[in-house]
Amino acid sequence: MSPILASGELILVFRWLHEKLVSTGLSPLWVELITYTVLAVGMFALLAVIALFLVWWERKISAHIQQRFGPMRVGWHGWYQTIMDAIKLLQKEDVRVDTRDRGVFFWAPVICFVAAFAAYVVIPFGDGLIVADLNIGILYVMAVTTFTIISLLMAGWGSNNKYALLGGMRSAAQVVSYEVPMILSILTVVLFAGSLSMGQIVASQQGHGIFNWFIFRVPFGPLAFITYLITATAESNRTPFDIPEAEQELVAGYNVEYSGMKFAMFFLAEFVNMFTVSAIATTLFLGGWNGPFMPSWIWFLLKTLGVVFILMIFRWTFPRLRVDQLMEFAWKFLVPLTFANLILAAWMKYAKWYW
Amino acid sequence: MGLWKDIKNLFVGMRITSKHLGRRAITIQYPEEKWTMPERSRGIVVLLSDKETGELNCTACMLCMKACPTGAIRIVAPRDEATKKRDLKSFDLDFGLCCFCGLCEEACNFSALKMAAKYEFSTINKDDLTWDVKKLQEIGRDVDYVDTRKKKAEPKPAVKPAVTDTPVATAPAPAAQSEQKGETS
Repeated sequence: MSPILASGELILVFRWLHEKLVSTGLSPLWVELITYTVLAVGMFALLAVIALFLVWWERKISAHIQQRFGPMRVGWHGWYQTIMDAIKLLQKEDVRVDTRDRGVFFWAPVICFVAAFAAYVVIPFGDGLIVADLNIGILYVMAVTTFTIISLLMAGWGSNNKYALLGGMRSAAQVVSYEVPMILSILTVVLFAGSLSMGQIVASQQGHGIFNWFIFRVPFGPLAFITYLITATAESNRTPFDIPEAEQELVAGYNVEYSGMKFAMFFLAEFVNMFTVSAIATTLFLGGWNGPFMPSWIWFLLKTLGVVFILMIFRWTFPRLRVDQLMEFAWKFLVPLTFANLILAAWMKYAKWYW
Repeated sequence: MGLWKDIKNLFVGMRITSKHLGRRAITIQYPEEKWTMPERSRGIVVLLSDKETGELNCTACMLCMKACPTGAIRIVAPRDEATKKRDLKSFDLDFGLCCFCGLCEEACNFSALKMAAKYEFSTINKDDLTWDVKKLQEIGRDVDYVDTRKKKAEPKPAVKPAVTDTPVATAPAPAAQSEQKGETS
């Protein structure tokens, strides 16, 4: 048995399948291969559904904010509009520019997609519903999601298009800048949870109703949550910080030259990223899957979709920042603020001024 | 202080968008629900029929054809030498040419033609945009109009004081209508 399986923090179906396969007498290698493949496919399907739902939801919310209906034609209130869009994109011709950098152009959407999905190894969807409770969970998430920058840069470079390259460069600059305050605000939580493991962080927020959630641990908790939310918006390249794909300046940003399914991969990865940052916000600040009366995974989904909703309201309310303002905001405001917050939290931890 | 004001403004903006989120959409889902057009809107040109007999009001005077700036109306009506009257053989209206100016309606003295509040005449074939008498009459069956045909018979001075400024006399309509009603009852 692998050490991950021994931790007993696996999805129940996965564990059941694993035991079944062991009892048939297959070699351990095959057992591992089959179970992990099944789990990976399952997670992929779940996240694809979530991403498609989020696209539809975003369109609906944006429409209703502008007093339109949004998609209404296919199904009840157009509920499978995004599925049809995905099918359309699958059928489309894969247009490739002659001057592209072949390898880079091909691998950019793949890396973007993989980076977006890989974070879900350590996201706790519910009580025990976690693929692998790594002891470096949150560090792993930060490391893996940062691959998105590389993929955007690759897309910009590989397209051999000035707009795409500008978009890629901007996104790299932006995400690298906002990574710093993001990690600083996450560190505040890690400091109090005393662990990088997602399971441990959730466990440390149990008890005392909702008052043990990190968002309610005044004063550093709310501040860290707000700074995290701002940086998360920047990380997922959404509107107040969407200069990588500023339509008015850059046509469409790094994905100008992409079409068909490659474009769809960027598009879906963006929404998966949005769900990822919301799921991390839930896990770190909103008590994870903790909640009374209902199954834990419902609580997790409710909280995460709530955060997603806030991000969507952000997007359809705020105007875009200018590039220099964006950098100023990150380095001159957020970094000092989160640093001060971290020092305050560390001092409170040392003085035991917390519960 | 500026910072706090800015932060407050962020919430003001979000409150406005959230408020709009709860409102009803003003979109009209076109094929299912339709806007009731204003009564005087200039839509399809229809040929009007007499309310009692169902015959066309058109006397083939060709004033509308001459008034039409784009030549959308084509009337074929040879004059019968015996009765000195024109016989309406065909009345073709090409909506591909029509610019919906309403001059034909103004030119018509016999309540034979009106721009109705209808607008759905799109086709996938541009030849179908040319409508003949039957089609124009059929769509005009349920169009309500004020019959001013008897106006010529009435003494003109009776209605003149009411409309001193406007050269196009549409005002005598109510008077004429009341007269007509009196006759029929």
